[in-house]
Amino acid sequence: FAPYIQVEYIAVMPRKPTSRGMLQNPPPSTFSRFARSQALIASAYRSKRKINKSKFYKKSRSNFSGNGFENHASDENSEQAESSDEDFDGVVQADFAFFDPKPSDFHGVKILLQTYLDEKQWDVSGFADLILGQTTVGTVIKVEDDEDDGVYSVVTALNLGRYKARNKFCTISLSQPAANHDHKCIEEIKEFLRKSCKEEDIMNNLRSYLGEQAQDVGLLISQRVVNLPPQLLPPMYDALFDEVSWATEDEPTEELRNSFCFKYYLLISRIYKHKSADQQKRQKSDEAIVYVKPEDEIFHKVPTFTEVSHSSASDSFNLHLSSAPGPSVSICALSSLYLMRQEMLKDYQLMGLVMAVEASKVQ
Amino acid sequence: MSGFCVGLQFENSCEIGVFSKLTNAYCLVAIGGSENFYSIFESELADVIPVVKTSIGGTRIIGRLCAGNKNGLLLPHTTTDQELQHLRNSLPDQVVVQRVDERLSALGNCIACNDHVALTHTDLDRETEELIADVLGVEVFRQTIAGNILVGSYCAFSNRGGLVHPHTSIEDLDELSTLLQVPLVAGTVNRGSEVIAAGMTVNDWTAFCGSDTTATELSVIESVFKLREAQPSAIVDEMRKSLIDSYV
Repeated sequence: FAPYIQVEYIAVMPRKPTSRGMLQNPPPSTFSRFARSQALIASAYRSKRKINKSKFYKKSRSNFSGNGFENHASDENSEQAESSDEDFDGVVQADFAFFDPKPSDFHGVKILLQTYLDEKQWDVSGFADLILGQTTVGTVIKVEDDEDDGVYSVVTALNLGRYKARNKFCTISLSQPAANHDHKCIEEIKEFLRKSCKEEDIMNNLRSYLGEQAQDVGLLISQRVVNLPPQLLPPMYDALFDEVSWATEDEPTEELRNSFCFKYYLLISRIYKHKSADQQKRQKSDEAIVYVKPEDEIFHKVPTFTEVSHSSASDSFNLHLSSAPGPSVSICALSSLYLMRQEMLKDYQLMGLVMAVEASKVQ
Repeated sequence: MSGFCVGLQFENSCEIGVFSKLTNAYCLVAIGGSENFYSIFESELADVIPVVKTSIGGTRIIGRLCAGNKNGLLLPHTTTDQELQHLRNSLPDQVVVQRVDERLSALGNCIACNDHVALTHTDLDRETEELIADVLGVEVFRQTIAGNILVGSYCAFSNRGGLVHPHTSIEDLDELSTLLQVPLVAGTVNRGSEVIAAGMTVNDWTAFCGSDTTATELSVIESVFKLREAQPSAIVDEMRKSLIDSYV
């Protein structure tokens, strides 16, 4: 459903939620693109409550047991989240299942990718198609038996050197070889990264990752709704790296097998960096960097990595998440959970974070 | 002068019908999109009808908040005075611009109309219904489409044809077609989206669709809204340019 429908005055919301993913937001109160993209990310959990009046539930946080994969060709792996309360506004049972990406997941995946490159207008649809086309490596998390088929998270690794556009017809000019340029979306991602890189020494590394070494680089895409239970993250990443190693053995052609032998993973993500770099100005309890996604902290700390930090090109970075009600960022250290409120984030600046991590260190 | 534009995006969203309103006499576009968005509208329409940039009630979802045809334009009560004045100034004189005091303020979702007939939400006020008949000069029918009361969202029709929600039954299609006196087809837009009016906007000679619309959906839209030249020879002529008969 178009994300900007005014909710207050429509007499009756359509009873059956649409199949276009779960991220229906209340309209943001500002025109700033940044505020809107934040609202899109941060208010997903609130819209969950509004969506299905017949089942009003909050996300459950209880522990659940994970099953390993039965065999690496299997599609699904259920994670049970138990309910501690059957009551109306208690927690609800939600069975999350891991699926291989399918073309029918297009809309849900596209919504999750909308803010991947900040506010830049780019070929998100083509990118979603690439992800869904790669069924051997990549996982989509959905709720089992969900009538809307909403996509809650997508995780995959795309080889940067693999996706070349193929022209169906011969080029007119015979002097040029048949098209060997990247898919438009991959081109746009590379362009975005090149433009955001400010430091010269990192630029050289980046250029090689995007250029000659592209065959060894995997773009690690991990997008999810803000309130996805953090207990799902370890099995999700385990699944991804398992699939990558299985792909290096199972893919039909040698070319494909080699394409999954990644030397590096490239991640594009977001962090909140404290505005004053000086330690004394900050309160003792304030962290220098707050990670939007907790696994980024782990990737960041992996030794020998390259970091490119970029601020988004758009305006106003003061975190006026007033359009997103409630806690704006949820951070989970994998063993404990705490929520940060908007006031605590007022000293932080949202920045993009791009990391290149050596594959051997994470697998 | 039949035309067809595809590949439209408003800030990475394919929901063209949310950010624009197209009629036979004018076109409204939301402010804040890229220049590319306006330029496509302007290149198709500028010499024929005015393309007006506006907001409604400070928001950009103008396509879903207002309802109009060549005779008039209905705006919700959330429209500010400045916006109302701006629209009155920019639109042709024969278009009556009227602000409606109606609880269901997303008029674009509640009302679907062409120049002769309007379908409305079943719970619309009686005064509003009379106002619609007056200002827009149409006959008003309270209807549902595939069980959905938001008729303005789930169908899009012009004076020549219409596209409705994919789950509309054959009986409903026949009934609606008789009411509207135009051929109707059930289909989707933007790669399977059921919210027809959010994904596209159409008038008698041109249509704009979101960039995710597939070729199949496009051909359905072209045929039901009669956007292509009707003569088969036109199609063959176009194809001939791309066919290679022989190599010398």
